[in-house]
Amino acid sequence: MSADSRIERLASVLVDYSTDVQPGQLVLIESSPLAAPLVLAVARRVMDAGAHPQTRIAVDGLTETLLAHGTDAQLEWVNPARVEDYERADVRMVFEAEFNTRSLSSIDPERLALAGRARERLRDRYLERAAAGELRWVITLFPTYSAAQDAEMSLAQYEEFVYGAGRLDEKDPVGEWRRFGEDLTRLAEWLDTKSEVRVISNGTDLTVGVEGRTWIPCDGKENFPDGEVFTGPVETSLEGEIHFSFPASFQGRMVEDVRLRFKGGEVVEAHAARGQDFLDAMLAMDDGARRAGEFAFGMNEAIQEFTRSTLFDEKIGGTMHLALGKAYPESGGQNQSALHWDLVCDLRSGSEVFVDGELVYRDGRFLPGTY
Amino acid sequence: MTDPRVERLGELVVNYSLELSEGQVLRIDGLEIGAPLALATYRAALGVGAHPYTNLSLDGLLELMLETGSEEQLAYISPVQALEIESIDALVTIWSEANTRSLTRVDPGKHSRYIAAHRTLSNRRWERIASGEMRWCGTLHPTLAHAQDADMSLEDYEAFVFAACHSDKENPAAHWSEVAESLGARAEELGSVRELRIVGPDTDLLLGVEGRTWLAADGKYNMPDGEVFTSPRETETAGEIRYSFPAIFQGREVEDIRLRFEGGRVVSAEAARGEEYLRSLLDMDDGARVLGEVAFGLNYEIDRFTRNILFDEKIGGTMHLALGAAFAQAGGENSSGLHWDMICDLREEGEVYADGELVWKAGEFLSEPVVHA
Repeated sequence: MSADSRIERLASVLVDYSTDVQPGQLVLIESSPLAAPLVLAVARRVMDAGAHPQTRIAVDGLTETLLAHGTDAQLEWVNPARVEDYERADVRMVFEAEFNTRSLSSIDPERLALAGRARERLRDRYLERAAAGELRWVITLFPTYSAAQDAEMSLAQYEEFVYGAGRLDEKDPVGEWRRFGEDLTRLAEWLDTKSEVRVISNGTDLTVGVEGRTWIPCDGKENFPDGEVFTGPVETSLEGEIHFSFPASFQGRMVEDVRLRFKGGEVVEAHAARGQDFLDAMLAMDDGARRAGEFAFGMNEAIQEFTRSTLFDEKIGGTMHLALGKAYPESGGQNQSALHWDLVCDLRSGSEVFVDGELVYRDGRFLPGTY
Repeated sequence: MTDPRVERLGELVVNYSLELSEGQVLRIDGLEIGAPLALATYRAALGVGAHPYTNLSLDGLLELMLETGSEEQLAYISPVQALEIESIDALVTIWSEANTRSLTRVDPGKHSRYIAAHRTLSNRRWERIASGEMRWCGTLHPTLAHAQDADMSLEDYEAFVFAACHSDKENPAAHWSEVAESLGARAEELGSVRELRIVGPDTDLLLGVEGRTWLAADGKYNMPDGEVFTSPRETETAGEIRYSFPAIFQGREVEDIRLRFEGGRVVSAEAARGEEYLRSLLDMDDGARVLGEVAFGLNYEIDRFTRNILFDEKIGGTMHLALGAAFAQAGGENSSGLHWDMICDLREEGEVYADGELVWKAGEFLSEPVVHA
């Protein structure tokens, strides 16, 4: 029994609600040792469900060692055991719990890109199995000092923030998520009938084609916490420019004040006030890295603050995000890339969104009666 | 800050013990508390162009399995584990624990069934090691728990561990190469022996070793190392033995074990403490009552009992006999989910006769082995 009952509740939501673990299933749990209390709580819950937990525990400094000292052949090596993991697992859980979110800061971005490309088929395979309904996955975050520091909070304050965003302080977290999910489903079903979204904000005027694509309501099943609706935009449709007001964090790097211009769906200009080299290297990763694989609205009102963690930032109520690279197959998006980089844009002041020419969203909220 | 003794131990294991080469796949097993040595081993493996990866568990997970697992869960082997044991080229096991007694209170029957169910994996591992398809080395990163078991401070225990491995000095591999030569000669000499008789306090045991191969444990499979061993003939062990040191298995201590053998099998077993556990292990499977190993401990830098078999079985001047799984490469045929080393201190009054001739007294062989060039 762990001392923090919120961890027990999180474990129960992840096992019983998010992934709905069934007897006999193979359940992968990927984590750093910092999340040991959650790993143990989840493993216990998985055992109680009659399934088979298998942990994959990361070692601090190992990825850094590989990226700093490995040969190209070592960077590109894909462990056959991990291939088998993703081929065989019924459930995959990932607990983010970093020792130091900046430990990869000094790694050459080209080498990050090389390692990323090598693991592309691994990621594609589990997403493919997920889309086919063969595998369920969920990513969550366990509060650590490093994440609290990025959020500019004490650890205790950050724990409040994380568990609050997951509704784990409520009496019936699963009930809360079901109700929230119903609202997101209504929004997604309404958006499914539309063809074009235009976002206007400070430094942003972007048109995104979504005709024939599926909007997915995110209700705590694949991310936890959650709270967004997303789709895979029509690959050639994006036109205009976008200014990402929040710094974009990716693989331990911060890129600030990113401005992108799209033409025919492709990024034709990219500027960053800080981290231009990294931005350029990511865009050059492969052909698909210059196209958007995801377009989404952040809808979780319990997340108000930017905390430098994509899992939370992209769900801030009143934001939108766009991911460069890989599309999720279940959304109908077809873009292929080793990259999937979410960039978040705050729409909570001075912003408007038009759907098929009609104003439906202003300053971070859908107008009442829209859906 | 990395400890150079840990870095050198990682390099020693990769370069000397495993002789790892470019393109080979190395899995590093252990608990998370051994992460510093796991990382040093990983780094050394990258240095030779290999593909290392870690497979670390967390303290508490095995306990959870043994406490709450159903029979089906206890017996479960994932297809991933099955694939790995077929495909990896090398394996390092770091035996470090956060608490060596965390399993003391689990149901011994369940624990035995868990081990028995995982025999397919351990058997396959031994098979691939024996046939030369795969290399393996077991080692240890010093932790507070092991220091406490050894009745030492962590600092003193670290000094003990790294001295036993020679990783506190430059070029430990050169030392181990010399050890290999001397132990190799001793093993060759013992190869012509048909019968061993061990005589000591409450001990008079006959072992048949004819036709078996003695192997020099020279730091390839264990680090530290320093023993010569074989697997005795399965049906010939007769007599009795009393183990002066406590015997520990999976974190449980059994004290003052006395075993009587007839026709190769344990026919009576007593212990001053932990007798029930002893019996449950003897009943694990058919092979658990038969010796799988007999060995001389010859690392004289390990001069004390520290409640850790990796070190204790090599204490210079001791012998150990393991119940359970035999070594195929020694010619042993006994198969079991158990391999339990029990150590007998022969430094005070022990004697060993080889085909009737006294060859060992008070913890030392009476003559140097002849080293053949």
